[in-house]
Amino acid sequence: MRSKIARIIALVCMLTLVVSLFAGCSSKKEQPSSEDTNTTGDTEQVDKEKPDEQAEKESDTKEFENKELDIAIFQGAYGREFWDALAEKFMEKYPGTKINITANPKLGDMIKPKVVAGNLPDFIYLNVDDPSGVIKGLIKDNALMELTDVFNSKALDKDALIKDLILPGFLDTVFCTPYGDGKIYGAPYNYGVMGLWYNKNYFDKKGYKPPKTWDEFFALNESAKKDGRALFTYQGIYPGYLEEIMIPALYSAGGQEAVDAFLGYGEGFWSSDAAKKTLEVFKKIATTDNALMKGTVALNHTQAQTEFMQGKAMFCVNGSWFEGEMQDAPREEGFEFGFAGVPAFNEGDPVIALVGIEQMYIPAKAKNPELAKEFLKFVYTDEGIRLNGEKAKAVLAVKGAVDAVKEYITPSAYNCYKAVESGMHPVVGSFKPVASGSKINISDEVYKPFSSIMNRQMTVEEYAEKMEKVYKQVRDELAAQGN
Amino acid sequence: MKKSIRRNAFIAFCILPSLLLFSLFIVYPTINVFKTSLYQDSGLGNKAIFIGLENFKAMFKDEVFYIALKNTGFLAATTIAPTLLIALFFAALLTSGKIRYSNFFRTVFFFPSILSFVVISILWSFIYHPTMGLVDSFLGIFGVELELPLLGNKYTVMWALAITMIWQAAGYYMVMYMAGIDSISREIYEAAEIDGASSSQQFWRITVPLLWGIIRTTIIFIINGVITNSFTIVRVMTNGGPDRDSEVLLTFMYNHAVNANMGYAMAVVVVVFIISIILSVVSNRLTGEHAVEM
Repeated sequence: MRSKIARIIALVCMLTLVVSLFAGCSSKKEQPSSEDTNTTGDTEQVDKEKPDEQAEKESDTKEFENKELDIAIFQGAYGREFWDALAEKFMEKYPGTKINITANPKLGDMIKPKVVAGNLPDFIYLNVDDPSGVIKGLIKDNALMELTDVFNSKALDKDALIKDLILPGFLDTVFCTPYGDGKIYGAPYNYGVMGLWYNKNYFDKKGYKPPKTWDEFFALNESAKKDGRALFTYQGIYPGYLEEIMIPALYSAGGQEAVDAFLGYGEGFWSSDAAKKTLEVFKKIATTDNALMKGTVALNHTQAQTEFMQGKAMFCVNGSWFEGEMQDAPREEGFEFGFAGVPAFNEGDPVIALVGIEQMYIPAKAKNPELAKEFLKFVYTDEGIRLNGEKAKAVLAVKGAVDAVKEYITPSAYNCYKAVESGMHPVVGSFKPVASGSKINISDEVYKPFSSIMNRQMTVEEYAEKMEKVYKQVRDELAAQGN
Repeated sequence: MKKSIRRNAFIAFCILPSLLLFSLFIVYPTINVFKTSLYQDSGLGNKAIFIGLENFKAMFKDEVFYIALKNTGFLAATTIAPTLLIALFFAALLTSGKIRYSNFFRTVFFFPSILSFVVISILWSFIYHPTMGLVDSFLGIFGVELELPLLGNKYTVMWALAITMIWQAAGYYMVMYMAGIDSISREIYEAAEIDGASSSQQFWRITVPLLWGIIRTTIIFIINGVITNSFTIVRVMTNGGPDRDSEVLLTFMYNHAVNANMGYAMAVVVVVFIISIILSVVSNRLTGEHAVEM
């Protein structure tokens, strides 16, 4: 009797195991929340029947030969809802078209094999600094389609050229013109504003003013010490965040020239006054008592940012996504996000903010570049701007976008963007691509040694010497390649 | 004659699926690694250029490669012996029958080895946390305050990572040794007891020699384990920092693979492969003579 029951139970268990194997075969339904898709990617067929009323209205939109579009979306902090909504609207406006969206938090890794197989999507939203290196590689391999014609064309919903809708200066940055030849390969998507953050509530209570110059910044160290907190912290094991100080400080010290030399591997840059002045700031942070929060160098970004929010440091570097990113993190009583940009060197100069641009690309080997370009133009319509604010809680790099989406973004983010619009000077920049096949990862070379500087195991002079050699190597490699 | 052909055909048919999978997922990628290491390849499918041994030449001039090599060697040197000794010791202790609740301890010691490496890395990041970590609080009791955080100081970071790796692996090998010890007949120990052998003598003269076959195998496993697992531990806990002082061979490889230098990364893999093989062969030779059959 006993063994019979045991056998039945064993059989049932086995059957359950076998059946559960088939659970993975069920087709995935469309899930709008971004938390679900963190293992496998979904290739969605977002196919819509056009309502009859639309058909009569849209007779003035272009007709396309190839009506199928494959788009690949990086599903990060901004989610995928914007793209789903935009695609729906697009398919309504352009009857008969079909947009297939692949969205994934690990999009880079996901589309890499497709890229290798030559089966590229028609349209990609993925940043050049994505850890998978896909976009970096495509740029290095000259595998992107030129988009200058898109920006020289008329906007879909107003009487203006698209390039005039984009915020000034953005299209000239290395994000959009990676080869420095004036030809646009990356289309600006969202932009973020980066710089120093402080606890607004704490500052108001104590009567402190956010620093407008570096002298004012270091003067606050005294007050910080009295209040039992360090002056500054940053995301220790990711010293790349320090670019949010580096680039604006260089701009303040030496203007666009200095920034261009920094990002373009200028000869003698590291012995220039601008470089020296900027490195002084880091030296002061490293060597002044109480300036750098204890343990900073070993902290990851979440830990460092949380310490700042708990009042262990007066300032932290980060971007306009800060409040959204840390919404569940513990913080000191009454903490309020305040954005201070980056101080200037000279009294009276404007405070500066680093601006980063997210990018959209069309691969050179896209199967349907025509429709992809039309879709790109569609992103920049008022509808696109509004949807982006509503669904992605983000701001497109387009004039007037900030106010158009004010209701959708966090108050601190809104203040960041408005600060840039009202006096804070935006500086944009990213390193020029190194020679293809170069073993140098330039942002590692530039920023990783800051851990040693902050540990006082390397002086800024030694650092500058080292960097001069690295820059020379980059220049030599680029020259050998014919650049 | 017919029968043996049929039988062989049947055997071949049974082996075929595994052989296919093996070739596709192990043999082919391995050959590909060696092939790609001879090319300048971005890894994204565009025009790989044959450059012969250039990648290797560049690697031997790359100072970060040497840092990574040194660190990986450090981890091997500081974690292999302690892990296996601790595992052996606890295995013997828990199977001696003299410890109460030995099953409980076995579970507790084994537990870390089933945790995901990311979880372990984050856990130990907090243990080593400069202001609120266990280590900091512990040292605080003695009034010791560290100037630089453990994971942010180039002199302590590798030691800290080594401890994490020992903690993770000891339980796994302990369970293996316990299984091995269980297969040693009790009578040998009883005979030794009667002859007046102390526990320590029993351990070194009976347990270790009889377990020697298993110990040799675990040495090869752990060499592999150190190289492979160091990747996650370093990447999550320190990201190679401070300033690349905790880079290991696999993180070095990974950073180049995602920087569109697949050919160079594969060259690093080739080197890791060769080092792995040499270490395994050497350790096999060195431990070959002491095997005892009973």
